[in-house]
Amino acid sequence: MTALFTATLAQGELPNVMSGVTLYHFLFTSAAMFVIGLIGFLTRRNLIIMFLCTELMFQAAGIALIAFSRFWMNHTGETFVIFVLTVAAAEAAMALALVVLLFRRKETLDSSAWREMKG
Amino acid sequence: MIEKIHALWPEITLFAAACVVMVVGLSRNVQVRRLCVPVCFIALVAAGVLAWFTTPMSAAAMAHLPQYGKTLAAFVGALLLLLLVGTPDREYEDDVARGRAAFEPIRGTRGEFYAFYLFSITGLMLCAGADDLIWLFLALELTSLPTYIMVAISTGRNRSMEAGVKYFFLGALGAATFLFGFALIYGATGSTKYTAIAEALQAQYQAGPLNAIAVAGVVLAVLGIGFKIAAVPMHFYTADVYQGASAPVSAMLAFVPKAAGFFALLGLLSCVGWFRATEPNTSLPEPIHEVLWFMAVLTMTVGNVLAVMQNSVKRILAYSSIAHSGYMLVGLIAGPGLQKDSFTHNGLAAVLFYLLVYGVSNIGAFAVLACLERRGRDGQMEEADDIADLRGLCSRRPLLGWIMVISSLGLLGLPPLLGFWGKMPLFTAGVSSGDYLLVVILGLNSAIAAFYYLRLVGVTLLEAPDAPGRGVPVQPGPFPTRVLAGVASVAGIIMLSFIPLTNQAQRAGIYNRDPIIKRSAEPAQPAVPKPEV
Amino acid sequence: MTPTMIPTLANTDIASYLLILILIGGAISFAVINLGASYLLGPRRQGQTKGITYESGMNPVGTARKRFNVRFYLIAMVFLVFDIEIIFLYPWAVTFSNVDHTMTDALTWLGRILFFILTTIVAYVYGMRKGVFKFD
Repeated sequence: MTALFTATLAQGELPNVMSGVTLYHFLFTSAAMFVIGLIGFLTRRNLIIMFLCTELMFQAAGIALIAFSRFWMNHTGETFVIFVLTVAAAEAAMALALVVLLFRRKETLDSSAWREMKG
Repeated sequence: MIEKIHALWPEITLFAAACVVMVVGLSRNVQVRRLCVPVCFIALVAAGVLAWFTTPMSAAAMAHLPQYGKTLAAFVGALLLLLLVGTPDREYEDDVARGRAAFEPIRGTRGEFYAFYLFSITGLMLCAGADDLIWLFLALELTSLPTYIMVAISTGRNRSMEAGVKYFFLGALGAATFLFGFALIYGATGSTKYTAIAEALQAQYQAGPLNAIAVAGVVLAVLGIGFKIAAVPMHFYTADVYQGASAPVSAMLAFVPKAAGFFALLGLLSCVGWFRATEPNTSLPEPIHEVLWFMAVLTMTVGNVLAVMQNSVKRILAYSSIAHSGYMLVGLIAGPGLQKDSFTHNGLAAVLFYLLVYGVSNIGAFAVLACLERRGRDGQMEEADDIADLRGLCSRRPLLGWIMVISSLGLLGLPPLLGFWGKMPLFTAGVSSGDYLLVVILGLNSAIAAFYYLRLVGVTLLEAPDAPGRGVPVQPGPFPTRVLAGVASVAGIIMLSFIPLTNQAQRAGIYNRDPIIKRSAEPAQPAVPKPEV
Repeated sequence: MTPTMIPTLANTDIASYLLILILIGGAISFAVINLGASYLLGPRRQGQTKGITYESGMNPVGTARKRFNVRFYLIAMVFLVFDIEIIFLYPWAVTFSNVDHTMTDALTWLGRILFFILTTIVAYVYGMRKGVFKFD
C-alpha cells in the first residue's frame, strides 16, 4: 500500500513546476471551495447566486476526486468526475427552468419573496 | 462485465416504460394519452416480478438487500401510482375535454409526470442494488431529480412552485454534501467499490483509529443523505414541501427518497462495519456512531414535538415522517447484532421491515387527503389540508373516515396492526445492542406521537361534522383509484401482520461479518501514517 | 491494492501529438478555403441590410434587457443533451481501440454505447413531439 498522505502528488513524473505541489494543496483548495459555496448558499438571497454556490460545492468535490485519482494512480476518480459533470448539467437545466418559472410569476429572484407557507 | 446487465432487468423494464410514457403522453389523441397510467402500472408489476425472481445476490456485505429492496420499491411504487392518478394536467385536460382549449404538447405535463415517477422508482431500485459509490451517487440523483419537478408541477398553484424550488435548492445542497463525502471516502481508501472500501477501512481499523479523512467522508456522506431521509440537520424543507405539493406527490416524497436514503446508508455503513472493539456490544466506529446517535435523537424529538403543534394534516404527516426516519436510524445504530439468524436482534432487518410498514401505512393517510377536495376562492380545486376538514369524516364518509382512522393507528403502532410489528424489532434490536438510553428516548417519542395520531383519530371518528354554512365542506374527488389505494393500504395494515414478511426482511438484513472476523485473526497490519499538516 | 501505472506527461512520446497537429491544420485550412472560395466566387453587393453586424440574424440595435423568447431556452436544453453525450463518447472512443476486437467483449462494448446513443435519440424524439424544433 502506498504510504498514505506522505508522498507528494507529483512523484517525480510531472514537470518541475509542479514538484512543490502536494495532495494537500489540492485538498485545501477543494475544501476552501466547498466552504465558500456553503457559506454563500446560506447567506445569499438571490436564487441564481444560490445555485452557483451549489455548483461551486459540486466542483470542489470534483477537484478532490481528481487529486485523489492522481494520488492513487487509478482512473476511478476521473471517471467519477465525468458523471458528476453530467449530473451538474442536469441540475443546471432544472435550476434554470425553475428560476424562469418563478421569475415569470413574481418578477423577482429574491428567495425571500417566496414565503407563502409558514408554520 | 456483462453479468451486471443480469442484475438490472427490473430497472431496464422501468426505464423502457418511462421512455414510452414520455412520448405517449404527448399524443394529440386523448385515448392514447390515457394509456400512460396502465403502461406505468404494468411496468411496475413486471419490474416487481423480475426483481423478485431475477435479482442475483450482491457481492457486498448485505447480499440479499438488492432483491428485497427492489421488490419493495416496485410493490409500494404500484400502490403509489394508484394514488398519483389524475394529478398532472387536471385543469388543462378539463379545458381540453370541454373544448375551451386545444391540446398543445408543449403545455401538457402528463407524460413527463409519469415518466419522472418511473425514473424515480428506477433510481430507488438502483440504490438498493448499488455496489459502488459512483453508482450510488447516480442512483440517488436519479431518485431525487425527477421529484423536484414533480413537486413543482403537481398543482397549478404558486405554492407548489415555491415548494419545488425550495426542495430543489436544499436537495442540491444535500447532493453536494454527500458527493464531497464520497470524494473523501474514495481518497481515504483508493476505491469506490463497496467491497474494496470495506476491506481498506477494516484494515485501517484493525491497525488503529480510522483515518481522519475517512471519518470526515463518512460523516459528510451521512449528513448529505440525511437530506433524503429528512433527518434533523437537513429537515427544514420537509413540512413546506409536503404542504406545497399535492397530497399524492407528498405521499411519494415520504417513501421514495426516504427508502433510497436508507438503502444508501445501509450500503455505506456496512462498508464501515459495526465492529467497535468492545464486543459483544458491537457498534459503529466512534465519531460516526456519535453523529448518528445525535441525529437519531434529534430527528425523533424534533419531528414529534413539531408535529404536535401543527393544524395542517399535511404538516403533521410531514413532521411525523421526520420522526419515523429517526426511529429507523435507531435500527441503523443498533447494527446487525451478533446472532445471525435472529430477526429481533438485527437492527438492519428491522429498518428494512419498517420501510415496508411505513410505505404501506403512509399511503392510507395521504390517500384520504387526496380524495377530499373543495373549490377554492380562485376557482381551482384544493385538497383537504386543515385538520378541521376531517371533522366527523367517519359519519359523513365512512369509507374515507375509517381509512384515516386505521392508517393513523397503523402509523402510531397500535398492537394488532402492522405498525406495531414494525416498531417492535427496532426496540428489541436497540435493547440487544445495549443502548438503553436510546431505547428509552424511542419509547418516549412513541408516546408523544400518540398525541397527534390520536388527535387525527379523534377528530375523524368522535367529533360531529360541522354545521352547514361554516365554510365550503370538502367533497370526495373524482378519482376512484385513489380510494382504491387507500383501501389497499388499510388492507395491508391489517393483513400483512399475518403474513411472515419478517422472514424476507430478516434474510435481507443479514450482514456478512466473515471478512472482518477472518482479518482479526491475522497479525495486525503496520499502522497507517497519520497525515501531517 | 497495487496502483496501476498510467502513462505520465514525462514519458509521453511527442510524436503522438502529430495527429492533433494534422487536425489543427485541417481546421485552419477548412476556414481559409471556405472564406477564400466565397471571396473569389461569391457575388458582391452593398446596402444597409448587408452591412449590419449579424446578417439575417438578430437585430443588433435595441435594449439589452429585452426578454428572450422561451424557445431559446428549449433549444439550449436540447443542445445540453448532445453536449453532455460527447463527454461520454470521447472516453469510450479512446478506450475502444484497446479492446480486443476478436473477443465477444468488444460487441458488449459496442452494444453499451449504442444503447447510450439510443437514449439520446429518445430525448430527441421527445423534443420533436414536444414541438421544440417548430419555429413559427
